[in-house]
Amino acid sequence: MDKEEKMGVEDQLEMVAKAFVNHYYHLFDTNRAALAPLYHHTSMLSFEGQKIQGAEEIGQKLAQLPFEHCRHFISTIDSQPSPFGGGILVFVSGNLQLQGEEHQLKFSQMFQLIPTQHGSFFVQNDMFRLNYG
Amino acid sequence: MDPDALAKAFVEHYYRTFDTSRPGLGNLYQEGSMLTFEGAKTQGAQAIVAKLTSLPFQQCQHNVSTVDCQPSGPAGGMLVFVSGSLQLAGEQHPLKFSQMFHLMPTPQGSFYVLNDIFRLNYA
Repeated sequence: MDKEEKMGVEDQLEMVAKAFVNHYYHLFDTNRAALAPLYHHTSMLSFEGQKIQGAEEIGQKLAQLPFEHCRHFISTIDSQPSPFGGGILVFVSGNLQLQGEEHQLKFSQMFQLIPTQHGSFFVQNDMFRLNYG
Repeated sequence: MDPDALAKAFVEHYYRTFDTSRPGLGNLYQEGSMLTFEGAKTQGAQAIVAKLTSLPFQQCQHNVSTVDCQPSGPAGGMLVFVSGSLQLAGEQHPLKFSQMFHLMPTPQGSFYVLNDIFRLNYA
């Protein structure tokens, strides 16, 4: 693959990562119940240190978080290919506004996205941390 | 050794090397390794070490707050997600950072860093 083609692949990857991130947080902020289909039965979530496995359990965990509404504000999105799995590693940082709270919380999150047969991606790995002051 | 203990041990080793002898980080990367440092992309152990050793400070100290890890797939890789603070020599206030590593096993039974993404977390 010559340099130009290679750059094209990387840019494509970045576009996929950005599109995924925007889609993910849009769903999270408007319809958390719709997140479960983004995971498979092998998926893993670490949420503030708590480990959860499988789309169903992950969906339940996210739906049961103790707030009705929140809004994610994304500051940075970085991505790299995950060569051995054919996946994409995505690293996000930003702020989270919980309804009724005065101050925004800072967070970081990483995903490993794996391609599906149908040309989209699912979340195989997901780790979320608030970044306290 | 259980994966969480492995991840913690790796993270301690990585930051101790970073904080005391940055050139030593070369052993932790290989030719296919990728680093994204504050948005700047670098590939390959040599270029990565050159980038890390040319960062504009002499000394720093990493203080790790959280380490999370998960297996990345059938090849035996591990995803490690770190948050903490970074004190640069001469600076009054520590900086907050997050970093993710994708570690792959070596034939010798240790790990190298295949993917590395670093971000400061500004206020």
